[in-house]
Amino acid sequence: MDRRSNASVFMEWSTEMSDDARKISEEQEKWLLQLEGVKERKEAFVSDAGIPLKPLYTPLDVGDIDYVEEDGFPGMPPYTRGVYPNMYRGRLWTIRMFSGFGTPEETNQRWKMLYDHGETGFSSAVDSLTFAGVDPDDPIEWLESEVGKEGVPLYSIRGMEAMVEGIPIDEVSVALVVEPETSAAITSMYFNVAEKRGIPKSQLRGTTQNDILTMTIGYVPWHPLKPQDLLKLACDLIEYCTAMGEAPKWNPVNFTTYNYREGGIDAVQEIAFGLANAVAHIDEMLRRGWKIDDFAFRLAFHLAAQRDFFEEVAKYRAARKLWYRLMTERYNPQQPVSKQFRFHVQTAGSSLTAQQPTVNIIRTAYQALEAVLGGCQSLHTNSFDEAVCLPAEESVLLAVRTQQVIREETGVTDVIDPLGGSYYVEALTEELEHRIWEYFLEIEEAGGIVAALNSGWLYREMNKAFDKRRKAVESGEEKVIGVNTCVVDEEEPCPPFRTNPDAARIEIERLEKLRQERDNQKVAGLLDELKRVCETRENVLPVVSRLTAEGASVGEITNTFREMWGLWDCPMMG
Amino acid sequence: MKKIRVLLFKPGIDGHWRGILTVSRALTEAGMEVIFEGFKSVDTIVEAAFQEDVDVIGYSVHSGAHHEWTRRLSQTLDEKGARDSFLIIVGGAIPHADHEALKQEGADAVFSPGTNTKDIVRFIEENVGGAGR
Repeated sequence: MDRRSNASVFMEWSTEMSDDARKISEEQEKWLLQLEGVKERKEAFVSDAGIPLKPLYTPLDVGDIDYVEEDGFPGMPPYTRGVYPNMYRGRLWTIRMFSGFGTPEETNQRWKMLYDHGETGFSSAVDSLTFAGVDPDDPIEWLESEVGKEGVPLYSIRGMEAMVEGIPIDEVSVALVVEPETSAAITSMYFNVAEKRGIPKSQLRGTTQNDILTMTIGYVPWHPLKPQDLLKLACDLIEYCTAMGEAPKWNPVNFTTYNYREGGIDAVQEIAFGLANAVAHIDEMLRRGWKIDDFAFRLAFHLAAQRDFFEEVAKYRAARKLWYRLMTERYNPQQPVSKQFRFHVQTAGSSLTAQQPTVNIIRTAYQALEAVLGGCQSLHTNSFDEAVCLPAEESVLLAVRTQQVIREETGVTDVIDPLGGSYYVEALTEELEHRIWEYFLEIEEAGGIVAALNSGWLYREMNKAFDKRRKAVESGEEKVIGVNTCVVDEEEPCPPFRTNPDAARIEIERLEKLRQERDNQKVAGLLDELKRVCETRENVLPVVSRLTAEGASVGEITNTFREMWGLWDCPMMG
Repeated sequence: MKKIRVLLFKPGIDGHWRGILTVSRALTEAGMEVIFEGFKSVDTIVEAAFQEDVDVIGYSVHSGAHHEWTRRLSQTLDEKGARDSFLIIVGGAIPHADHEALKQEGADAVFSPGTNTKDIVRFIEENVGGAGR
């Protein structure tokens, strides 16, 4: 076909389209006439994020969308349709269950059980002491009651060694769900264990969550560090692993918008918080003198899958597009991977109910499907008993099976971005993109993430959102099965999963033994060195890595940060 | 009428604060005087409860240690002969199967996830100033 005929085909096609649009518009008028005076179930239909919803979407709603510009092709800018050219036709997402309880040995057993049943990546849930960076023999009142209760206790390299014993960490990726307070300690413990097993850290694949907002607006730990110090610690890990090339395959941060979303905000706020958080880290890394291509290729995200099915799918698509645009327009990295929004998804814990808990299986399955239709790279599905306790073995297995049903039985993995081209989903993607960007600019106006934390702005936004949601559920406007509709009066309570009551004794003994066997003089010297590094604000990783190798505990390291930098007076009331 | 005074806190070091903050806001909206203490030791709380002359002590546990903290609070109140001086309410990630035991251990009411905050308000209003208080 020559140039001329190509052009004439195009001309013919575009006239046809506008004729089409006219025809559609005429037919739509007729249809709208039929709707006149017909009563609807609700006065107004809006999405979870408050987007007004039409009864029907047609080509007229996507007429302005330039396909190549806004959608394009998978693995190509703006990545709306997916970050890889072949998506799930090549490799399926990683089944990564967030898991840990009791002792490192018990967690190890659970991990092996999950692996045997088809899990393809690991993720460690730690207890409140590990999360905050507190040792079990710290004289805080009744601290032993929390050892191993919410997750695995990882207080020293010995705990870490026991947790990953026999786990093929040279082949399978591991997510360490710890935050800036303890990310240097826990990540270096993991690297040191791997090296002892003969696996260099340059080969390790995995992620440290290392998210400052998880430790501020998601969860407020005991004796918290200031946002600016959390940002410093978060960037130290990014610098060490990625920019300095110590662990180039490791994701040193996972902006966990999931944890913010769980606090009641909507899909628009979730992604905007995530982008603003990423920008704070990027700007700090650039301030330190690194170039965008030195580290941006390892920035990753962890998103929620909430109740509004199509809005969530559109959210994942919009997030990919926005990340591409933000990176291109503001930082212009040369590596395509730096512009690709890669993300893990967790189904919504806050959507689980204590009432009629088996209904949670159904909620989780729909949310998991959203994540898959949205092109996630990795997925955690909640267990049905998690509204009230850690999951029992049979319930977590069911959660793994939920993902396997989607993989093996539904056929949804055979075509890339199968909801792309839906008039509704495309229109929603477009609308979300605009709203997220507007809200992102509002956060920037509030001074960016660190300033917005310190001023209480982020807390006010969170509290406002949560109050609104609570009132909607309590008034019955937002329906929740088992809570405000389809309620059953007398329920037989299901027996909860209990963690090991001896965990505290076991862990205190493990730590005591380590303190007897390690070179205490060496540890004390290194702790002094850490104090010096805290003062000069050099990267803490090199000395923390030596500390954990020598048997220093997570509490000893984190208490040094607290001592040197002081605590944060968190404005959580907004 | 005198406003009902409520002292809320998080025992231990678990930082899941969304639940207790929500209850704090709901009780304030219902016209109660709420003192939100954040992380505190049980001894400090019991002392504060007397000093602030509160009617209700409420706490939230998401760590699975709800039995331990309830027993600890009861024991401290017993030592001061103050078991009946305050209405004790506990909430958090607590299985329904544990409600009865928690009441035996000293809680006057237990609120699990999915509780309507209006039910908490009603319980407090109906029980503050009851026999022995």
